[in-house]
Amino acid sequence: MMAQNDNKFNINIILIIIAILVFIFLPNFVSGYYVRIFTAIFMYATISQCINLMSGYMGYLPFGHVMFFGIGAYMTAILMGRGLPFIVAIPFASLTAIIVSIILGFPVLRLRGHYFAIATIGMNGAIMSVAQNATEITGGAMGTTFPIILLPPGQVYNYFYLAFLGLMVITTLAMYFIVNSKFGYGIRSIKANEDAANSMGINTTYTKVSAWAIGAFFTSIAGGLYGYWMSFISPDEVFDLMFVTNSIIMMLIGGAGTILGPITGAFIIESLSEFAWSGFMEYHLAALGIATIVIVFFVPKGVVGTIANKIKNRRIALSKKAEVSNG
Amino acid sequence: MSLQMLVNAILLGGLYALMGIGFSLQWGISGIINLSYGAMVVLGSYLSLVVFNALNIDPFISMFFTGFLLFFLGAFIYRFALQPSIKGGIVFTLIITFAIRLIVENIILLVWSADYRTIRLSYAGTNFQFLGTFFPLTKFITFLLAGIIIYLSYQFMTNTKIGKGIQAVALDKEGALAVGVDDQKMYMINFAVGTALAGVTGSLWASIYSFSPHVIDVMIGKVFIIAILGGLGNIWGAAAGGMLLAFAETSGATFLGSQWQEAIGLVIMVLILLFRPHGLIGKKFFG
Amino acid sequence: MVDNDIILDVKSISKHFGALKAVNKVSFQAKKGEILGLIGPNGAGKTTITNLVTGDLRKTEGEVFFKGKNVSNLWPFQIARVGLTRTYQVVKPLQGMTVEENVLVGSLFGRGDRKNDLNHAKKNAQEIMRLVGLYKKREFVVSDITLPDLKRMEFARVLAMDPEVIFLDEVMAGLNPSEVEETMEMVRKIREDKQLTIVYIEHIMKAVMGISDRIIVLHHGEKICEGSPQEVCDNPAVIEAYLGKKYAKEVMNS
Repeated sequence: MMAQNDNKFNINIILIIIAILVFIFLPNFVSGYYVRIFTAIFMYATISQCINLMSGYMGYLPFGHVMFFGIGAYMTAILMGRGLPFIVAIPFASLTAIIVSIILGFPVLRLRGHYFAIATIGMNGAIMSVAQNATEITGGAMGTTFPIILLPPGQVYNYFYLAFLGLMVITTLAMYFIVNSKFGYGIRSIKANEDAANSMGINTTYTKVSAWAIGAFFTSIAGGLYGYWMSFISPDEVFDLMFVTNSIIMMLIGGAGTILGPITGAFIIESLSEFAWSGFMEYHLAALGIATIVIVFFVPKGVVGTIANKIKNRRIALSKKAEVSNG
Repeated sequence: MSLQMLVNAILLGGLYALMGIGFSLQWGISGIINLSYGAMVVLGSYLSLVVFNALNIDPFISMFFTGFLLFFLGAFIYRFALQPSIKGGIVFTLIITFAIRLIVENIILLVWSADYRTIRLSYAGTNFQFLGTFFPLTKFITFLLAGIIIYLSYQFMTNTKIGKGIQAVALDKEGALAVGVDDQKMYMINFAVGTALAGVTGSLWASIYSFSPHVIDVMIGKVFIIAILGGLGNIWGAAAGGMLLAFAETSGATFLGSQWQEAIGLVIMVLILLFRPHGLIGKKFFG
Repeated sequence: MVDNDIILDVKSISKHFGALKAVNKVSFQAKKGEILGLIGPNGAGKTTITNLVTGDLRKTEGEVFFKGKNVSNLWPFQIARVGLTRTYQVVKPLQGMTVEENVLVGSLFGRGDRKNDLNHAKKNAQEIMRLVGLYKKREFVVSDITLPDLKRMEFARVLAMDPEVIFLDEVMAGLNPSEVEETMEMVRKIREDKQLTIVYIEHIMKAVMGISDRIIVLHHGEKICEGSPQEVCDNPAVIEAYLGKKYAKEVMNS
């Protein structure tokens, strides 16, 4: 039995590596239009992974999570505005996000369910207000710019494509190792039954804050990259709750509480967005709304979740059969 | 604070109170954070606009129609979209109400476009004076009607059989079930009442201010603050919360300049969540 | 001077909810390896005391010493990690996870001074499940198993934590007589194998009599009697607490 599982594991790894290689070389074969769509997919997948860790695995929905996206974007812009190169600005920006998540995390993660979600929305709004009003530092409500990249646009888009691809892969790998580690069991136990988790020796405060900090880290990098990619950011854009709501919907479609779910969901939703109803701009919102309701009702575990469930049930049924015939 | 500012704040507070109560009831009793609430308010405004343009009936009268319509819309939404997804937890219900908001917003955009609309009442500009302060007529009527409806809502909750049923499931679900109260029916009716109140608010809002789909986000932002200030599910709490917000907005705009006003409001809201999640007023539900 | 025999020393703990004294200056000690019964009518404060000792609830006053160390101000997870554990009267399984995963979590996070990386913890969890008779059901999700199995799993989970003291909170609630027998046998056997100290909480006198070395009786948040099962049985205050003054007089006079 063990050898069989190992083989399955190896096949999955090979498939994933092939997929990554395909994506690395894809820009050479498709137009800039598709390159940009995929870049957006990779970005959303990254944010969705962070939301998935907090909500899908840990049971805390950080509706205001976009605050770290905005912090990443703005800190990168501000530092680059002071002359720092992107490569140096990004770590500082993500460090800022981590610090903010820890400072805010301790008080706010004591709240449960609804209250936590709403409090994070409030925090996001407050931080957005700061960005809007601290005009000398942030450029205020008018927004701020990034240094222009002096390279041909096609090349630039390819670089961002690869950067976001890399970010998505690293984030997903990180999530994989976290979820399957001892720390990951702590995270899952919090969702399963937080009181029991505490009585079993899990330091839930430390676990919750750490999970949020991890999410803040990757999301802030996405924000910094996004800003540099767009060359221009404004407060109501990078602190827009739509980033989070899209990520949540993608997480649900792909499968909350799975590793590949957020990526799958990002592909599905962005594709639908671009190809299914882009021709019907006036129905864009309603289409997303209806699609969401349909998914929640008919595929509540998401695509990956439903498949994973079927595989697990089959495996249990098979092992039960084996036990009956053996014992 | 000058007397005029005080009057302005109170008149505004009545409308905010009415608006906040619906949202607070839905969250506190039916357990749904209704992200489509703002869209419902604005929908109420547009419905009154339609009636006004077609039949020349004031929003003060068409608000009954709006409330009636939105009551059934709310019941429908709860029964078919929300009740089945409650077991999925807050993620599901939040996303579904958000999806409903998207759909309603899209409908509004399609039918009426994103332009700002107004209802031009013939007596819109008139004021009357009392003790040296100006009372804009439309705002005054709005305040009175809001007050009456809030009072009626309170009476409904405490003195009718259904209202008491709602109170019962809010205070002790198991106990209510044990005496034969249909809890899902109570949650549905409560939710529908909330949506109706949103619609009525929208009609009243339309008599004074202009409106467009952009206003949806503004509304949702305000009702959150009102509900949290007043404690969830608490009629008088939400009313007080509405007054508080109105005062903060009126005086904040004057003292601080509206720049930091929003940030401060949000910071206060977060602090309340952290330290007094039952709201400033304190007690849960009706008290 | 520390008496090496005494593993848990509860000194005069109280819990006041406003004017209500749910627990009032209760003191007791548990000797290493004994089964200490904690009984009293419903509402006497048994679960509250458990919550106070394990840190789930904050004490209004009093102190708790475990193996000579003052644990009064530790968080629940810290108390669990030093080996002072409890089960819940209404079981708290980790929803959405399997039996094996539940026990594994206990293994991973329980007593802090041992090797509890994933590999060791997995082995430990399997061993515990075999001990308790749940190995065959290890892949079942908790929503698919019966109440007796849930209680067994909760016991397995706490055992996987490698504790020294377990507060078993009304572990018999909801079980029929034969299930009660089975559970008692399992507890006895495991107590012997692992030399655990068990604080056994019950409100039914009979269930506790046969298994406890000593018994403490609570009533209205106060300790009214302490001693061997026989001593406690004959104590007039205890009879009064369970039967009420009027009937107690009849029993005494008969």
